[in-house]
Amino acid sequence: MKKVGIELEGLQKRFGAQEVLRGVSLEIPAGEVTVIIGRSGTGKSVLLKHVMGLMRPDAGIIRVSGQDITRLGDADLRRERFRFGMVFQNAALFDSMNVYDNVAFPLREHSKLSEPQICLRVEAMLASVGLKDAGKKQANELSGGMRKRVGVARAMVRGPEFLLYDEPTTGLDPIMTAQIDALIRDTQDANPGLTSLVISHDMAATFRIADKIAMLHEGRVILEGTAETFRETDDPRVRQFVEGRLEGPIQ
Amino acid sequence: MNAVSRLGARIISVVEGVGRYVGFLLRSLRGGLLPPYRVRILFKQMHFVGVESLLIVMVTGIFTGMVFAVQANIGFSRFGAESLIGAIVTLSLTRELAPVLTALMVNGRVGSAMAAELGTMRVTEQIDALDSMAVDAHQYLAAPRILAATLMVPALTMVFNVVGVIGCWYVAVKQLSVTPGAFQARIEWWVDPDDLLGGMIKSAVFGLILSSVGCYKGFTTSGGAEGVGRATTTAVVISGVLILTSDYFMTLILAPLSVG
Repeated sequence: MKKVGIELEGLQKRFGAQEVLRGVSLEIPAGEVTVIIGRSGTGKSVLLKHVMGLMRPDAGIIRVSGQDITRLGDADLRRERFRFGMVFQNAALFDSMNVYDNVAFPLREHSKLSEPQICLRVEAMLASVGLKDAGKKQANELSGGMRKRVGVARAMVRGPEFLLYDEPTTGLDPIMTAQIDALIRDTQDANPGLTSLVISHDMAATFRIADKIAMLHEGRVILEGTAETFRETDDPRVRQFVEGRLEGPIQ
Repeated sequence: MNAVSRLGARIISVVEGVGRYVGFLLRSLRGGLLPPYRVRILFKQMHFVGVESLLIVMVTGIFTGMVFAVQANIGFSRFGAESLIGAIVTLSLTRELAPVLTALMVNGRVGSAMAAELGTMRVTEQIDALDSMAVDAHQYLAAPRILAATLMVPALTMVFNVVGVIGCWYVAVKQLSVTPGAFQARIEWWVDPDDLLGGMIKSAVFGLILSSVGCYKGFTTSGGAEGVGRATTTAVVISGVLILTSDYFMTLILAPLSVG
């Protein structure tokens, strides 16, 4: 049986009158890439923020390596975040810094490494995402794809156990999308201890990278399984989403 | 919804907003007191708030001193008391004009910039990124800005005082008929260090207000570029109003300091 990295149980969250998560239960296996798909506005990003401990649920349990993080105090929750890396939708690079300083930032904040050691680590990280000579560029000089790569380097630099991606290929051209997909897969394969969780609505990308897929619809997981499960399902809601059809139960 | 419940809802939202602002301020101040100390960011912000505001504060200060000298002369010349121009202008500057005008000028430049910068960081998820890296955004972003403004607005106010008095001296001595000796003697006679101290205390509070409101509005920005624009404008307006209203109450509190 696969080891469970993150386990969600009956997760609920509402904002005012709007019920975003209505009891999400899902197991995210350790050492694999899990992709959560769903339409925009179905609460995928909210779910990701819960996993990271950036939001607290109204009800439900989030277990990270068996420990329920919803019961942790602020200080413990902050320590828990050391185990995570997050790649934001538009990379969220600090635009007051250059690429090198962006990637070095988590090390300077949280490690006792000397500057030459940081330099070695940052350059190795930049090389691994294919941006060997981009260290001196300012964040706002980069293309969308390069920003995402720097985002991955920054999230990976401290060697996290969990790597979360918020719609990593939104707004990229098809070739760049394929490159980022390959980067997600390569990063996972090069780090067997890593657990990756990707939020996406790009089906082609999902089939390329996912070990496990879960579909979120109206605040609940309606199907989970492998790419095969999703190709073969009869659920009309999943079929409509996977095939990108206008007609169907999802309006 | 009828008018009464609309009014009630509005009052509740204002009170909630004040509560959130105070919570933000306390959390930021606590962040500033606890390690790690962000000395480099603090110096960078002090340079931005202080050094880069120097020119506008000096220009405002010198012309304020000059125009008040001209105005005071209109009154005092009616009963031959022109030698008091220096003293009355210096009193007005140190107690009131320099702290308030400096704060309003710095608010326009710095308060708006803080709201815009942090607001942009909020809508582009840079503040979430800090949180995700277990870095306290209040400590990293807000605390150095608030501390820098609380220290530098009094320093700028002091500059305003000095150039204001120089402006006043130029008009009184060079253009009107006051002798340099009388100008100086009257100031020494009428103006106490306590007048200066009261103004400094006020300006530190103004610095705290304009920076914390700017940072708070930045932190709570939502809604993309339009949201950033709205946050910037609101920050400047709220700070401006708070500076002027708090000035009145601080004057009442500080008055015994220099009357006795």
